Amino acid sequence: MRRPKSLKTLMLLLLVMVISTVMMSSKLVPEIEIITTTEAYDPIRYEAAFIIAEGWRSLGFQVNVRPMEFSTILSKFYDQQDFDATILGWSGRVERLDPQHFLGTLHGEQTDLGANNPGGYVDPEYDALFEKQSREFDVFARREVILKMQEIAARDIPVNVLFYRDEVNAYNNERFSNYVVMAGEALYNEWTPLRVEPLTDKRVLTIGTPQEPDNINPLSSTSVWGWKFMRMVYDKLVRLSPDVEPIPWAAEEIIPIDDLTVDIILRSGMKFHDGMPVTVEDVKFTFDYYIEKDFAYFRPFYRVIDRTDIIGENRVRFTLKDPYAPFITVTLAQIPILPKHIWEKIENPADLSPANTPTVGSGPFMFDRYDRGEYKRIVTFKDHFAAGDIKIDAVEYIIYADAEGVFTGLLTKRIDMTAWRLEPGQIPLAERESFITVVSVPDFGYYHLTMNLRREPFDNLVVRRALSHAIDKNTIISVLLQGRGEPGTSVIAPINAFWHNPEVVKYEYNLAGARQLLQSAGFTWDAQGRIVYPE
Amino acid sequence: MGSKGYFVGRLIQIILTLWVILTLLFFFFRLGLPDPTVALVSEGLSPEDRQIIIQRFGLDRPLYAQYFIYLRNVIVGEFGTSFYYKAPISGLIGEKLLNTLVLMLPAVLLAYVIGPLLGVLLTWKRGTRLELGGITLGLFFRSAPMFWTGMLFVMFFGINLGWFPTSGMRTLPYEASNFLQKILTVDFLWHLSMPLMVIFLYYTGLPMLIMRNTMLEVMGEDFIEFSRARGIPIRKVMYRHAARNALLPVVTQAAITAGLAVGGQVVVEVVFSWPGLGMEMLQAVRTSDYPLAQATFLLLAAMVLAMNFVADIVYSKLDPRVAYKRNV
Repeated sequence: MRRPKSLKTLMLLLLVMVISTVMMSSKLVPEIEIITTTEAYDPIRYEAAFIIAEGWRSLGFQVNVRPMEFSTILSKFYDQQDFDATILGWSGRVERLDPQHFLGTLHGEQTDLGANNPGGYVDPEYDALFEKQSREFDVFARREVILKMQEIAARDIPVNVLFYRDEVNAYNNERFSNYVVMAGEALYNEWTPLRVEPLTDKRVLTIGTPQEPDNINPLSSTSVWGWKFMRMVYDKLVRLSPDVEPIPWAAEEIIPIDDLTVDIILRSGMKFHDGMPVTVEDVKFTFDYYIEKDFAYFRPFYRVIDRTDIIGENRVRFTLKDPYAPFITVTLAQIPILPKHIWEKIENPADLSPANTPTVGSGPFMFDRYDRGEYKRIVTFKDHFAAGDIKIDAVEYIIYADAEGVFTGLLTKRIDMTAWRLEPGQIPLAERESFITVVSVPDFGYYHLTMNLRREPFDNLVVRRALSHAIDKNTIISVLLQGRGEPGTSVIAPINAFWHNPEVVKYEYNLAGARQLLQSAGFTWDAQGRIVYPE
Repeated sequence: MGSKGYFVGRLIQIILTLWVILTLLFFFFRLGLPDPTVALVSEGLSPEDRQIIIQRFGLDRPLYAQYFIYLRNVIVGEFGTSFYYKAPISGLIGEKLLNTLVLMLPAVLLAYVIGPLLGVLLTWKRGTRLELGGITLGLFFRSAPMFWTGMLFVMFFGINLGWFPTSGMRTLPYEASNFLQKILTVDFLWHLSMPLMVIFLYYTGLPMLIMRNTMLEVMGEDFIEFSRARGIPIRKVMYRHAARNALLPVVTQAAITAGLAVGGQVVVEVVFSWPGLGMEMLQAVRTSDYPLAQATFLLLAAMVLAMNFVADIVYSKLDPRVAYKRNV
């Protein structure tokens, strides 16, 4: 995956070497390059980079902003780790409400190429605590460990969490009521179709989406658009409630036996959409099948499972390789139950053509149709245990080219709700219409500026702290996000209140203070005002 | 004999051009990426699938060998597997191509039939308010970017007046067992009207104005005066004699426009959520689906060439000198 160093970089290197030999006397702090998205891809991150660069320049750093195509950034950042500082984001998916994933982005074992800690932060204490929390089944004890970890991360500031963006959705309030709004997911969550109540004769909820699922094969889809659709068709042992608490779903009861053993009692009387009963055989088959086919997208979920056994008519036992606290909240809440009688005949599930992909699940809605690029529909499954509470007949999805198309669909009453965030410019327009209700929830994903700790000057803690004091987050939020966001402090967002540590050290925007910090560490400035390393 | 030779010569030129484009695309997509395997093998694939694809595209062989395998694959219509959809690309883009053509061909055709006729009309009504209005409107729609006109249409006719649907090809959901069944409906025409109008307005200005300019030149020539002197009615002189002679630059422009229209299509498809090749290309770029992007680029390029070729043939029919001159 390595790209030969481009000629440009080589020449630049040569130039830097020549210059530095000429003026060996004092060592200038090297120029910093901030990698960010192109303006077309995300104007917010693009502009934010310039705001940050301006702050850093006023401290005497030489800063260069370099916008790049998104896929190039991902490759440079994750696969090659060839960057000084990069602005990127983590999306807030429900399984990431468990702190495991975000805390892992600072874990010392994830610093290799392609892994989640490209900045290369390694702290033995942090790593030890990470292992500890991962084994701690007692949530309050685990919480103590996690609060401490956030303290360490803020102290060492290898990653600067810039802001948490609000998720703004809208719906037509004349057609349905009782929408569910969830942290991070806003309206397009798995509870909205289960709870909405029709106000007119229209008993089909119409959702406008700006993107298409990659496919609807539970052994191939790796996109949020695929899974947000499929989770209505398939049941999971656990669902996360609107308040993001794990509640037994296809499992009637979950019984943790010890650190390495969890039993589930399967709910009785469940059926697949083709009429076959859901049995413990199907549950065991599903987990074995995912592990056997090694479906990479789910690997973090099932990696910890050692074996799955049927130990009673309706009882399944999971034996884990290591204690893994998020087993119930993440693993059991993400893996869909597949019908054994259909999938056991399929040798290479990832190769299934769209036409041959099975769509039989046991979920509250049945797959009905999918016309790629245009339309999807699922209909209520009357035999589902939750069907009694469902007040609609079907959910249909209209696929638009972009967010603008979705918004037009909302204005022309073609759709009932949006599946994706409104653009900042659309929000006041939506608020002006009395038939539209706008909802806004903070995201628990975050945008971050990650510094490469393997490189100068980011290997220096004082520099990292001073640079953090020179980031004007309030301007970024008030101007670029038009106030729809919160300044970042920790990788665990405030909306994730149980795990979030509000007490961590915050780096207020303070240029004089930052300069002071550098000065007392012995940094000086040359005649042109450029910052110079201590002698 | 000459026109046939011309035809063959143009065909060879087209094939050569296509080959150059294929070659450029091949090297661009390999230069732009860290590793050639990334272009065709995605991360989510299982190791066995990876091996199958690596072999099929010869990614384990030297670059020149890969290049020939790539040419062979393109000739037999094998574009690889889409990263995003994880399905063979040839199956993904067939219908999208038809969706694009069914919007673009009528729009450009209309523009180049109605545009020149309007141009003749403007010449005829020289010095009147009609001429002034025609020129102004023509220039206006010609200068306004299509996505902007499109958005205005969506706002005015779609949202405010509610006359036309703002997105898609049909009212969803619809049943159609084949492509013809899908488009031979009033519902389709209703959905087609706005995007068609936007493309038409954009492209009609140029042939109209070119026609008017050349007509004015031609009108000053001796043979026109001679025709008038023979007592041929003005209308007939205009449309039979002057227009035919003034048409050549318009056809040249048509050949160029055919190419531009294919590119401009992407924007219109996005504004109207038209499920065509342009929307697919946007999606491919947005999801870093290199194989799919490569295939859509290639198809669009092939379409440009095909349209140019058709324009050339029409050209040689209109003015046989074009064919003979080059092949003497």
